[in-house]
Amino acid sequence: MKFLYKYGTILAIVIVIAFFSLTLDSFFTYANFSDILRSISIVTLVAIGITFSLIVDGFDLSVGSTVSLATIASASALVLHRQELLVALIVPLILGALVGILNAFLIIRLRLPDLLATLAVMYIINGVQLTYTKGFSIYNDMPLPEGGVAPGKFIPSFLFIGQGELFGIPFSVLLMLLLVIGAHLFLTYTKTGRLFYMTGENREAAHLTGIPVNRYRTYAYVISGMFAALGGIVLASRIGTGQVSAGASLLMDGVAAAFIGFSVFGIGKPNVIGTLLGSIFIGVLLNGLTMMNVPYYAQDIVKGALLIFALALSHMVKK
Amino acid sequence: MKQIVHTFGDVTVLNGVNFHVQPGEVHALLGMNGAGKSTLMNILAGVLQPVSGTIEIDGKVHTFSSPKDAKRAGIGHVVQEVDAALFPALSVYENILAEQIVAQKQISFSKTKHRVAVLQLLERVGLTHLSPDVSVQTCTLHEKQLILLARVLSSSARYIILDEPTASLSEEETKRLFAMIEQLKAQGVAFIYISHKLHEVKRICDRMTILRDGEVVYEGDVSLATEDIVRHMVGRQTEVRNERTRNISKETIFEVKQLYIPKTKTTVDLAVRRGEIVGIAGIVGAGKTELAESIIAHVETTGERIVRGEKQTWTSPKDAIEAGVCFIPEERRKQGLFMNETVEKNLTVRLLSNIAPWQWIDKRRERTIATSLISSLHIRPSSPTALVKHLSGGNQQKVVIGKWLQTNSDVFLFDEPTKGIDVHAKEEVFSIIRALAEKGKAIIYFTSECQELLHIADTIYVMVDGQFVKKVDALEATYEQLVYDMTGGGTN
Repeated sequence: MKFLYKYGTILAIVIVIAFFSLTLDSFFTYANFSDILRSISIVTLVAIGITFSLIVDGFDLSVGSTVSLATIASASALVLHRQELLVALIVPLILGALVGILNAFLIIRLRLPDLLATLAVMYIINGVQLTYTKGFSIYNDMPLPEGGVAPGKFIPSFLFIGQGELFGIPFSVLLMLLLVIGAHLFLTYTKTGRLFYMTGENREAAHLTGIPVNRYRTYAYVISGMFAALGGIVLASRIGTGQVSAGASLLMDGVAAAFIGFSVFGIGKPNVIGTLLGSIFIGVLLNGLTMMNVPYYAQDIVKGALLIFALALSHMVKK
Repeated sequence: MKQIVHTFGDVTVLNGVNFHVQPGEVHALLGMNGAGKSTLMNILAGVLQPVSGTIEIDGKVHTFSSPKDAKRAGIGHVVQEVDAALFPALSVYENILAEQIVAQKQISFSKTKHRVAVLQLLERVGLTHLSPDVSVQTCTLHEKQLILLARVLSSSARYIILDEPTASLSEEETKRLFAMIEQLKAQGVAFIYISHKLHEVKRICDRMTILRDGEVVYEGDVSLATEDIVRHMVGRQTEVRNERTRNISKETIFEVKQLYIPKTKTTVDLAVRRGEIVGIAGIVGAGKTELAESIIAHVETTGERIVRGEKQTWTSPKDAIEAGVCFIPEERRKQGLFMNETVEKNLTVRLLSNIAPWQWIDKRRERTIATSLISSLHIRPSSPTALVKHLSGGNQQKVVIGKWLQTNSDVFLFDEPTKGIDVHAKEEVFSIIRALAEKGKAIIYFTSECQELLHIADTIYVMVDGQFVKKVDALEATYEQLVYDMTGGGTN
């Protein structure tokens, strides 16, 4: 039983891969795996953000709409305002950080429950990006309401983030791996990372031990917002347009990945390596189901069931 | 209970225990932490099922497969953590009748019908002043305990387990509880009384059973000398220490003036010198914890704080800690520990600046520090990677204290540091505190246990309702006088 808790997630991934490989001809190919990794790179970025909020015993439901907001912001900077790469990266990141600050303000200063506060923010941010675009996506050479076409376009350097390759590996996958490793090292081996965990473990004890808990909680929400924004940038670059509400589905995937991560190696705590494995699991599963012609709307049923399974498992590990 | 055997994994926690309680007696169950008391009581209350052995009540063999079976057989359990068993937002009334409400078949519940019964129960436990309509969260700890007792009585329990009932009670409240126990005893109710306070056991109990390492080592009369009881519990003679050979410096290291305690709306002056152990004696509710939390700025307050002759303004415990004043809280699980973390991480949380000067944690140095603290404090198990939640109360307390030992703290505030820990661990905590004082640290020791202060303190302040009513030299203080002062005997 203990073995199952510890290695259950990894076992599940192996079983799922083995199952799809045997039943689907085109599953176990380099092209397909590269595809899976590419698609999970965005989910993983969002899920790392969620992991940070979970570590400080919080929760961030606003990440999905922050992804959408960042996608629109990058697209708008490039297409509507003809800005260069740097602006298209910095603007969404700043917006993500601002969403995090707003969340932290509501949760820490106004003492609203994290789930409800970020739910409200999720709606507000979603409304903001819809209002800004009036519900229309942003794309190259789009006609403008005041006549003519948009002055800018998605520049190649921006598109490289989501579509380019380095050494035969998609750049977004490298970016994801880099950030996973970075976040893992930060959380496991640095003083600040340790204090993040302590803050989440027992806030009152942490406060009495002299840890500035509210500062770390604020950091966590800001980091969560910025990771979501980064996810939005990669998403915009990958599809080459600024689609409205593009990030909505990423919330569920990210939450499921982070909670599956709880149980990896029987750690029982939010952790980045677990989150990565969780999102690989989801990615493989969804990829396989798509190849088996399971329609996307039915996949939501699988995702929901998966989250329940992950939550049940993480509770069992805690016991 | 006959020949009870129970194991957790490979560990045998109860090895053929025989335990008899007669109707109408108060029977003490004694033993160090880990002796098997809780396991035995959990078996009796139907929470655990024994590997072998039988439970007989009035000559009839019972098998409890759930707490419900035990309740039906007349076993009542008043747990130590009363909050865990109560519904804070519901009324006293509903809390007392919780079991009846659950058991009844009709959907609607008549309040008036049961009112008389509830009032009778409240009277039986001595809570005549309490209205059954107030919500439980507004009650004091003592009241909550009695509410739980009333609930147990409502299901006509004849054998009631009291687990550390006086752990958080003041002397006055303890007296009242004991009067109540006597009364119920006369009505034929039997009590199983678990406690670490031996003088109380001698006061209230008729017989006792002492467990050590899962076996009964003594069963019989309570008139046994305290030293002998302790010897049975510990299994070896604890050394009697000669105290107060320390030199207390003249230098006042920490002082508060006109410090405001918000909860009691009073102000307090207090000074402590290097090497001095100042005891703050007061019954539960006297404002000791509130004073400690005011000192370290855990609550918003006003007043002057002077550290090493320098005036300071603190707005959070962080400021206090940086000035060298640290606080070991009474509620160690809630306020002092990171329960799901390892012993090592708990011990080094204040030392991260040393072991991670450039953010990067030097794991080898962390391990060295942790192992040296573990061995100097005799923390068991001695593995730095053991999770704190798996440690016994006494060892957890040593971890809470250990966290501060290698910091540059000069003033240590201990709030009820011996609460719920066994006799042996208590002695260890005392020797840690003495060692700190010998090193020139200043100690402020908050407790309602007068004996502890007579044992360890140099100066004793008596606190009543948020104010100091007396300051005495511990060498001149007597137990009776302290109790008298604490219970408000010296004031009007």
